[in-house]
Amino acid sequence: MYKALDHFDFDHRLMYVRNIFIFSLLFLVAGLAYFQLVKADEYVDLASRNRLRMIRLPSPRGNIYDANGVPLAVNVRTFEIRAYPMDIRRDEDYESTANMFARHGIPMTSADLRERVDRQYVAPYRAVSVIGNLTLAQVSDLVMDDEFSRRLFPSPVWRRIYPAGALAAHVVGYVGEITREELEYQRDLYYQAGDVIGKNGMESMYEEQLRGTVGEQVVEVDSRGRPLRNVNYNDPQNGADLKLTLDLAAQREALRLMEGKKGALVAMDVNDGSVKVLMSVPAFDTNPLTWGISAGEWSALAGDPDKPMMNRVTGGAYPPGSVFKVVTAASLLMEKTVDTGTVISCPGYYRVGTPPRTFRCWNRSGHGRENIHGALRDSCDVFFYENGVKLGIDKLIEWGREFGVGAPTGVDIPGEVGGNIAGRDWKRRRIGESWYHGDTVNYAIGQGYLLMTPLQLVRVYAAFANGGKLVTPRFNSAKKPEWKDVKVSKANMDIIRRGIRDSVKSGTGRAARGFGVEIAGKTGTAQNSQGEDHAWFVGYAPADNPRYVAAALVEGGGSGGSVAGPLAARILSYLLEHDK
Amino acid sequence: MLLPEVGYGWGEIRAGLDRVMVILICALFALGVVSIYSAGKEVRSSTVVYVARQLVWGGVSAAVYVAILRVGYRNFVRLSFWMYAGTVLCLIVLGVRGIVSGVTVARWFQFGGVSFQPAELGKVTLILFMSRFCSRRPPENVKNFFAALAICGVSVLLILIQPDLGSALVYVAIIFAILTVAGTPMKYMAWLSGVALCAMPVLWKGMREYQRLRLIVFLDPYIDPQGAGYNVIQSRIAVGSGGLWGKGFLQGTQGRLHFLPAPHTDFIFSVFAEEFGFIGGIIVIVLFACLFWRILRGAFRTKDTGAKLLCVGVVAWLWFQVMESIAMSMGLAPITGIPMPLFSYGGSSLLMVAIALALAQSVAISPVKEKFAHI
Repeated sequence: MYKALDHFDFDHRLMYVRNIFIFSLLFLVAGLAYFQLVKADEYVDLASRNRLRMIRLPSPRGNIYDANGVPLAVNVRTFEIRAYPMDIRRDEDYESTANMFARHGIPMTSADLRERVDRQYVAPYRAVSVIGNLTLAQVSDLVMDDEFSRRLFPSPVWRRIYPAGALAAHVVGYVGEITREELEYQRDLYYQAGDVIGKNGMESMYEEQLRGTVGEQVVEVDSRGRPLRNVNYNDPQNGADLKLTLDLAAQREALRLMEGKKGALVAMDVNDGSVKVLMSVPAFDTNPLTWGISAGEWSALAGDPDKPMMNRVTGGAYPPGSVFKVVTAASLLMEKTVDTGTVISCPGYYRVGTPPRTFRCWNRSGHGRENIHGALRDSCDVFFYENGVKLGIDKLIEWGREFGVGAPTGVDIPGEVGGNIAGRDWKRRRIGESWYHGDTVNYAIGQGYLLMTPLQLVRVYAAFANGGKLVTPRFNSAKKPEWKDVKVSKANMDIIRRGIRDSVKSGTGRAARGFGVEIAGKTGTAQNSQGEDHAWFVGYAPADNPRYVAAALVEGGGSGGSVAGPLAARILSYLLEHDK
Repeated sequence: MLLPEVGYGWGEIRAGLDRVMVILICALFALGVVSIYSAGKEVRSSTVVYVARQLVWGGVSAAVYVAILRVGYRNFVRLSFWMYAGTVLCLIVLGVRGIVSGVTVARWFQFGGVSFQPAELGKVTLILFMSRFCSRRPPENVKNFFAALAICGVSVLLILIQPDLGSALVYVAIIFAILTVAGTPMKYMAWLSGVALCAMPVLWKGMREYQRLRLIVFLDPYIDPQGAGYNVIQSRIAVGSGGLWGKGFLQGTQGRLHFLPAPHTDFIFSVFAEEFGFIGGIIVIVLFACLFWRILRGAFRTKDTGAKLLCVGVVAWLWFQVMESIAMSMGLAPITGIPMPLFSYGGSSLLMVAIALALAQSVAISPVKEKFAHI
């Protein structure tokens, strides 16, 4: 309990503190008196002519070039006229502004004007675009008008142009006005409504590098909106240019090859992962998207059943089919399930499980006796069925993951998917069934739940081509090559390399022969639950000293050898011919 | 002191209620709603929404206020250690989660659509805890003084890393006021102030760029008239142009034309002062002065030292936020973004202020209770 003295001390201190609390409020009274009584006139004046106008000066974005310096994205300067809603939102203002435009041959009614301003309105002091897309000549003509300077501000606008259009659409991407959602979720406070931001591809991936820094002009204006003086001016800073690894001429060749098909063609340097060709068809022109298209045009493009806006190379996950057999072969060899002396006999089918299920080889009449070399050359399914079951699903999945299946490659393009190589647990969770031998059989030849992107496949084949480096594909030429070593021995690599070389020489991949380069590669005809089989070919060239790897996929294309083989072969021979 | 720890009955509340205090609170809240309405005008679609939400929160706060009166402040003081420990735990969780996720420490927890800021609730629990701790172990000697300082300093540090400078300053004001009244020797207080002054440069180094900028521009807003200084200049123009009588209800231009940032929260007083002028401003300040006076009147009347300290803490909190937000509106204090009690739009801060005011009211009622008990 407290002593009486303490109690006294308490109230004593309490009184002091109370007085401090109460009398310190006089400081606020004094402040209010100073600003609201002594200085009132000055501030009333400031408020009535308040008026600092802040003008954002957009920065030109960095240009994007292909590997040879051909422009893929550039800017052109146009002009727009901006104004503040509080200056022009009266009927007579709309009328006189529209009349002024009419005098200079720009058709715009006061109703149009009102509609435009209302649509962009956020707050009275937030500038809106009254009219856009003017040339320098038009603007200088307008500025001469007596009525102009009152409340209108001309400002330069950089418009993005994609000279290559659809040729590089999926790689370069496009820019557009920032959306409300993007504004809300932006990490920094850089953007404002009306700003342009990269929406896809390189434009989005390297947004921070490309965008530069906006400038800002602060003008004090009088009560009628006439600029009095410049308060502040910061120059906009240009964005940095971006040089890609992509080869536009090869893209043109790829588009020519893929004309009229649905699918993907991708080619990459086997050693440093620089992507030379990325063609996803059908493609789309990015220019209209940047300049603004109607809602109808947009929904037609976005809702097109052929999905032109989807990047099939990085965003499309497909059953890989027989092209996956190199991964199965590597795991069989590394786990010592087979060696070069292991021979099985292929009667054209394989039976497994209780009750037994029959799995057919693509060659119904059978391949007879095959070892691993022959199985790769002839794409013998039974060899992989039988030995895949011996190996077991867990090891197969482990090796699949070692080759990057089921995970994004880390390429510098947004929206990449990782495919699927999920095993027992996933099946139990998703489908509620346990894993059967039949599932293992399917995985062994790249079917079943197995899904890969074309980019993942070129990466796997590049690893065989370059002696075991799983490179990270890249589009930015300034980015350092990165890779991860695959734990496959050199001897086993050589066995597989010989197998897929002979596949083109004398096996199922013969359709890729005779284009002037020696190719090592593998065909695939992937069964597709949604319709026609997908045709695959993945390979590299030259076979003995590989430089490039390519993958061709034709959706619903049927047999891989005859359809996809020549596509990949032609793009490889084109790249080698034009190699410096 | 030997009273049973039960709450008040309706009869006791009716007999002991400080009605003047209730009237003052209602008057300030009403002026706040008027300002929120005015601030929301012209901003699309928000006018009625803001006012309606504030009224709903006002109703919730009133209900909580009454509930706390029924329970009585003693029960809260008794549990204050656990409440304070819980607050510190919440702050630690936020801090750790922020450090793990790497970007910034969040200030709140999100439960569905409702967000909860431990720093706000912490003001109440800190006051409760300190009043109990300092009444049981008066900070007259070094040991008790440092113990109090260490336990309370933890929450201040945790809030500084969020970083929420504004709330941390409120905590410091509360701690300082309670320690002073609790009988800390003036020597210690002088020493503490010295250390605080020395810590300033360290604090400066630890601040984010935007925080520093806010502090500098308050000294000279024209350094950066369109950036951080913009708010200060525009707010000062709003207040100054109000003049003696103000421009009249809904006649202000600064707030409504969106020259003011966050007109219904941080700069609510600027909106009010522009429309109601010097006279209006004086009325608000006098109302707050009377409120502080009434709360401390309760402190003088009670014999419970813990209750005295509780009242001091509540006044220190409200006083600091009123000083800060009004001074800020004139550009006389840096912008910290702390709300003006009872005025600013915002449910959680209103609710917390209501809880604090209810605790103070409960102290004011308590002498009646003591009287009843003696009969």
